[in-house]
Amino acid sequence: MSFRPSEMSADAFPVPSHVALLHYGDEQLREGLFDFLRPALDDPKQAIYMCGPPGASSSFLGYLETSAGRSLGAEVTERRIVLGKGDPDADEQLQNLVDPARELSERGFDLVRVVGPAAWDVPGYSAPEDFLWYESRIVPAIQGFPVVVMCMYDAARLPAVAFLYGALETHTHTLINGILSRSPGYLPFDRYLTERLIHLPWLEAGEERRDVTPISEGRPGRARRSRKR
Amino acid sequence: MAEVELGHAALDVQRGAIAILDPDGNVTWADEGWAADEGETGLPRVPIGANLLDAYRRQDEPVAQSVASALAAVLAGTATYFEIEHRTGRQSRRSLLTSVSALRGEGAGAAVIQRVVSARAAITPRLLDVKTRSADPISEAIERLTPRERQVLDLMAAGLDNRAIAAQLRIEYTTVRGHVRSVIEKLGARSRLEAVARAYQGGWVAKQ
Repeated sequence: MSFRPSEMSADAFPVPSHVALLHYGDEQLREGLFDFLRPALDDPKQAIYMCGPPGASSSFLGYLETSAGRSLGAEVTERRIVLGKGDPDADEQLQNLVDPARELSERGFDLVRVVGPAAWDVPGYSAPEDFLWYESRIVPAIQGFPVVVMCMYDAARLPAVAFLYGALETHTHTLINGILSRSPGYLPFDRYLTERLIHLPWLEAGEERRDVTPISEGRPGRARRSRKR
Repeated sequence: MAEVELGHAALDVQRGAIAILDPDGNVTWADEGWAADEGETGLPRVPIGANLLDAYRRQDEPVAQSVASALAAVLAGTATYFEIEHRTGRQSRRSLLTSVSALRGEGAGAAVIQRVVSARAAITPRLLDVKTRSADPISEAIERLTPRERQVLDLMAAGLDNRAIAAQLRIEYTTVRGHVRSVIEKLGARSRLEAVARAYQGGWVAKQ
């Protein structure tokens, strides 16, 4: 699959849209985050919502304050910048994104910019398949609202499958090296559900899930032998 | 602090703590290491006679939730064994391996074994091994669902989120959440989508 840069510029996102920012490491994350959110810092008619697993929104706020060179406490207090909370349940996480985005829209903001990291196989968080379901539900959920959702996909950390099934197939657009493109692999939700989600290779019947993390010591040995009834 | 040291000592000496559970998740037997744990494991202490499954489910800690989910699968007979490596308590730098295995036959239930496996802490808890494919076919699992849960499963398979399911069935959102959890558990799945995929693969949900 190849990308041909479109004529769109990164400061002219279609509204609504669901954008995957493909970056490599934290430095590019900070740059991409600031580039996307800076217009909202300068425009009181725009709002920001930060979501993701626990701790992500406060990290993002810290990045943004560092890049902006100032505290954003006032914007947080007046809820022009809203910090979301993570939830291990994908459905709850979807509501955690949709409710504040709609609330900010209804408060009269012209544009709500939503950011969050792709959380793939984070222990205690949604399983990868549920994360993909969540991602695929975002486009239908924001229809009719002035919302742009940008998900950060870190090439330094995420497996290829996260990019293939997540970034490219659940996002209407991708942003790579400052170039915004329509995603050629995007699948509308109903097709994504029947053609992709229920056929994910690790969910096929008979598959056995195994983590590759090595265990240096043996399986239950002494402990098992000492078991008493 | 002294209590934490005691817990460290107990785990160091025994290299493990063991509890045996009945099919409902009640602790029916535990060894000295289990009894000595005063928080060193980072998991709630559950004495003999108490229900470990309920105690872990009540915790907000992701590790406790993960152990509870897998334990439920083991007790339901849809999983046989799992391990999860995690940090031992907040101040500890060591790594603990919590294993749950099914006990079959007389005295059926589950064994929970916790062992220090490394002087370094696991950076993040990692589920190491889950075998969920048992001899229990999907048809039997589906038959364990109530009629309402079957309706919920059908709507999950259609891709609806919980709010949409609640609206469709005209029931409370929190009730739907409970049904979804129950469906996932009864189908021996770890996630919403795995439950849906299993239902599709078993032919219990018509492909769109």
